Amino acid sequence: MSNQDKVKINKLPTGVPGLDEIVGGGLPEFSFNIIAGAPGSGKTTLAHQFVFANATSERPALYFTVLGESAIKMLRYQQQYAFFDPTKLPDSIRFINLSQVVLEKDLGAVLEEITKEVEKANPAVVVVDSFRTMVRKPQSDMDLQSFIQRLALFLASWQATTFLIGEYAEDELRDNPIFTVADGLFWLRQTAERNSIVRKLQVIKLRGQDSVPGLHTFRITDAGVQAFSRTFGLTSRKRNPPSNRRLCFGIPELDKMLDGGVREGDSVLVAGSSGTGKSVLATQFISEGIRHGEPGIVAVFEERPEAYAERATSLGLDLETPQKDGQLTILYLRPLDLSVDETMQSILDAVEKIGAKRLVIDSLAGFEMALSPGFRADFRESLYRMIFALTGIGVTILSTVEVDESFTEFPFSTYSISFLTDDIIRLRYVSIDGQLRKIMVVIKMRGGNHAKDIREYEITSKGVVILGERLTNYQALISGIPVRSDRSDPKPEPS
Amino acid sequence: MTTPQEMRDLVQRLLTYEANAAKTSEPVESRVFRIYEKLRQSLGEFAGTAAFQSLASRALAMARSEMPSLRAAQISADGRLKGLGQGLGLGQSEFGPQIYSEEDRYGEQRTGDEGTVVITRLLGLLFTFLGEPVTLRLLRNAWPGAAIDDRISENGRKA
Repeated sequence: MSNQDKVKINKLPTGVPGLDEIVGGGLPEFSFNIIAGAPGSGKTTLAHQFVFANATSERPALYFTVLGESAIKMLRYQQQYAFFDPTKLPDSIRFINLSQVVLEKDLGAVLEEITKEVEKANPAVVVVDSFRTMVRKPQSDMDLQSFIQRLALFLASWQATTFLIGEYAEDELRDNPIFTVADGLFWLRQTAERNSIVRKLQVIKLRGQDSVPGLHTFRITDAGVQAFSRTFGLTSRKRNPPSNRRLCFGIPELDKMLDGGVREGDSVLVAGSSGTGKSVLATQFISEGIRHGEPGIVAVFEERPEAYAERATSLGLDLETPQKDGQLTILYLRPLDLSVDETMQSILDAVEKIGAKRLVIDSLAGFEMALSPGFRADFRESLYRMIFALTGIGVTILSTVEVDESFTEFPFSTYSISFLTDDIIRLRYVSIDGQLRKIMVVIKMRGGNHAKDIREYEITSKGVVILGERLTNYQALISGIPVRSDRSDPKPEPS
Repeated sequence: MTTPQEMRDLVQRLLTYEANAAKTSEPVESRVFRIYEKLRQSLGEFAGTAAFQSLASRALAMARSEMPSLRAAQISADGRLKGLGQGLGLGQSEFGPQIYSEEDRYGEQRTGDEGTVVITRLLGLLFTFLGEPVTLRLLRNAWPGAAIDDRISENGRKA
């Protein structure tokens, strides 16, 4: 059957940022869906967002409330969200309470009541909240299944997209005949992980279209539910072809070591212990990009944007003006219960907004600390998804990472993430002539030549400055405790 | 925030609308009855009988502090307002249109006043819980022809 012969299923906007991407572009029109989850998991808010996004006066939404939260209380709280539009009440969105019918009569009467209202209003959207409270009355499973089936059949025939909202525990999900009737099954959960609450959403079932599998984090803010797809909304985008363009740091000797700079779209790791100048290098990288007309994003976790910009000023780098000109965004991402996906969404929004070409993540340790403890376990996997997604759209990422200085080892990162990076620049202290000096070496450059030199550098008022030629008069430099060799070149002045 | 006076004005506008809608002249009590019943119907459908009954009971309790003669009034399980005028010694057992003799005209007016106070309090509660925009939209739905402004609390409001 060719594509043009197939019936076209319209996709309706969910009204939930990020959810359209997760469900494959929107919710199938006329589908019969169940939103399940524990109390407080955001079911009602999600349904409201869909209702407000789709209801019109010509094709209104009917919102049936049963037992539980009354419409008055529901509206009192729901109107606090930004999506709530009172002008849609009551022409486009009508609330109908069925509690009396449920209490006094049987499911047949409930169906009859819903049928009557649907025939009268010709709605595009029907919500029954919470249908679980209807079925707690003692009756056989067959009654309930029959009720759901008849309801689904009736509402689909009347061209209504339907949501049944129900409180279900996780173990009730399996082998529940009610769920077999549904075209779409959305599971919302919130779990406490250490001191953080993590909300996750799963599309367990969605007939007729591809949804993004897995658990997606979501957050409920003043704007309502916002979902964060595990693929960051980038599945539909084509990956940029590899580029041979080089992005420089504006530090001539380092750029030479990198054979002209890092390749566009690379993921660069700058590793070193505290005070070795990782952030300085990162700031120079972003600043040089702006000088070349390449907008940049700096995601900071350990200090506020003002402090970051102020420190750049002390290095003679102006980060204030490009921020005002829309060439630079410094994102401060500090909440302690973030998910990687939320962080990514903030970064992606900023990337899209200013068309960023360079991104600095300063630092990975701060990033990890900003995450909810539950997400820290998946940090490496999340980082992989993030780097893959961003470099795929041509953004060059420079991440800084603090490593414990060891005089017996030469680690690149505490996260075992060197495989995620294309290029690694290692900074470290060495003890030379009774001084703690700094050396830099390019460890790895995927897809390009790079200098093997170990160079000494200093942090001056001009930023990172590489001193003289490679250090040839010492052995075992990377151990941190080098031994002077026979050759003794004079130490050049800073260039 | 809507003031009590603005709330009374709103109820007065509904009373005027109901008076104009009636074919013949009728006692104020009948208009008050219709307003209360429309509220009961529309809010009952919207929020459920039990929710309306709770709200109306609270409104009645508040109204009693303003009008002690309401002490005999009650809200039934289905949300109806009963016993208006009983506190006035009028012998009326249920809120609804009744025929009085000329000498009862004063009592009739007082019964209407009692109902008006209850309705005013009821609308006040809706404003508290739902806010002005949503409440006014619900009222417009119950009184499609009535002129109910979006911002009744603003100066220069229209009747």
